Amino acid sequence: MGAPIILKSFWTETKKNFSLLVGLFKASFISDLEFRFNFATRIITDIFWYLAQVVTFEVLFLHTPIIGHWNINQTRVFLGVLFIIDALYMTFLADNLDKFSEKVRRGELDLLLMKPVNSQFMVSFQRVATASLGNLIIALMWMTYALYQLPDLHPLRIFWLIVLIPVGFSTLYVVRFCFSVVSLIFVRGENIQFIWFQLYKLGMRPDSIYFPWLRYIVLTILPVGLIASVPARAILDPPNWPLFLWAFASVPIFIWFSNRFWKYCLSKYNSASS
Amino acid sequence: MISNLEYRINFIVDALIQPCITTVVEIVLWMAIFRGAGTDMIGGFTREYYLAYALWATFVARISTSWLYEFRMIEEVEQGTINSLLVRPLSFYEYYLSQMLGYKFVTTIFSLWIPIVVGIYLDLPVHLDRLPIIFLLIGYYLFLVHSMSFLISTFAFYLNKVNYFTSTKNLALWLLTGELFPIDLMPEAWRDFVLSLPFVSGVYLPIGYLTGRIGFGVFIQGFQTVTLGLIIVNVMGYLLWAQGLKKYSGTGA
Repeated sequence: MGAPIILKSFWTETKKNFSLLVGLFKASFISDLEFRFNFATRIITDIFWYLAQVVTFEVLFLHTPIIGHWNINQTRVFLGVLFIIDALYMTFLADNLDKFSEKVRRGELDLLLMKPVNSQFMVSFQRVATASLGNLIIALMWMTYALYQLPDLHPLRIFWLIVLIPVGFSTLYVVRFCFSVVSLIFVRGENIQFIWFQLYKLGMRPDSIYFPWLRYIVLTILPVGLIASVPARAILDPPNWPLFLWAFASVPIFIWFSNRFWKYCLSKYNSASS
Repeated sequence: MISNLEYRINFIVDALIQPCITTVVEIVLWMAIFRGAGTDMIGGFTREYYLAYALWATFVARISTSWLYEFRMIEEVEQGTINSLLVRPLSFYEYYLSQMLGYKFVTTIFSLWIPIVVGIYLDLPVHLDRLPIIFLLIGYYLFLVHSMSFLISTFAFYLNKVNYFTSTKNLALWLLTGELFPIDLMPEAWRDFVLSLPFVSGVYLPIGYLTGRIGFGVFIQGFQTVTLGLIIVNVMGYLLWAQGLKKYSGTGA
């Protein structure tokens, strides 16, 4: 009797949040159109980021045939996965989570907390950077190019890739969210946010390059390895079922943890506007 | 300096935790590259040379990159709160230069031991006696870094969301300074072009000289290119600032 009620309430909540997300997207799009120049600058910034990643590996592969256990074509696919997930992050989360500490400092968070919706959802998705959808197109183009370079692409593996990209995105969300909300405890903690960027660097390299102990850490405790490496493995390597199972199971676990952590941080929060 | 010590968590993260994590990431990457290559030498240098480069490059890149102060400068201009600075005996440029240099000095002193200790522990080829002269070049390059920050902050008189310029510039510098990989690994035509720019003084020239990848003759050219860069950037910055102030209306802060 209890399970159907929980499922129904979960479904209602999801539907409500989805329609809210659509509304937020529309509002953000209209607001973005006011500053059309920002569309271009934002995409150009990310193109530089993509270029930095691509050039690094292209130059390194001029001097070595393999890094980790992937060759250049396989590494290009890995970068494609990374770019797609990063583009999703830039579109839906970056504007909200990167500027979270600023919201706390200026007292803007209080307004969000007062709204009659899930507060974690609201602080995570309030602003959608519609300009970054351009990045998603670029990332998809790169991915298509990279997949085309693979000599033995199996269609079933593309299915796994499509399924695992949301897993990578969810993992990215949870880790970034937890780093952002630390600002509720340390109000002026800009540099703590820089730790996030350093850790994200670990996820921006194939996990196969790491020592076994470090690989274990990036796939479990600090799961940045789940962001791009695991979806890329799905298409490049023979299926690793225990790893895929863990990747799927980790999503509800990490999201539950992020919610607990959010509530803990809120309990330590002293309103900046009070 | 005192204001930097006020926010201790921030400071510990910036001076200690961040460099440690970055060091691990970069060293592990280069170890994997050599494992994959199955060779002892890439581009004429052994694994130890690359580890030494990665170790010191990440350390120096943190000094020669400006995010925080550039964002603050942009915010001040964007929000119209520079009034209080305009009436001080110090100019906006000088005020933030002193802030930035103070911060860089403190974090450098506190984190310098990390690459030294790791380098000695791993027995990497580093000429520690060259540290004073490479810091001289880095210090000189910081003036260029700050001048670029100043130039970008003046854009805020004319445009909104100038933060993206900072991100774009710093991402480009990621490549052009040699932070991501030694410039000598680039194909020849690219390498010559990048070496002619002042940005290599941010990482490649000092660390190349410190680790013995380049000679004194190449290293010293950094002072010339930075001087040229300083002249160009400061002239542009001055003109845009002067024009911008005419358009500026303060918020009364």
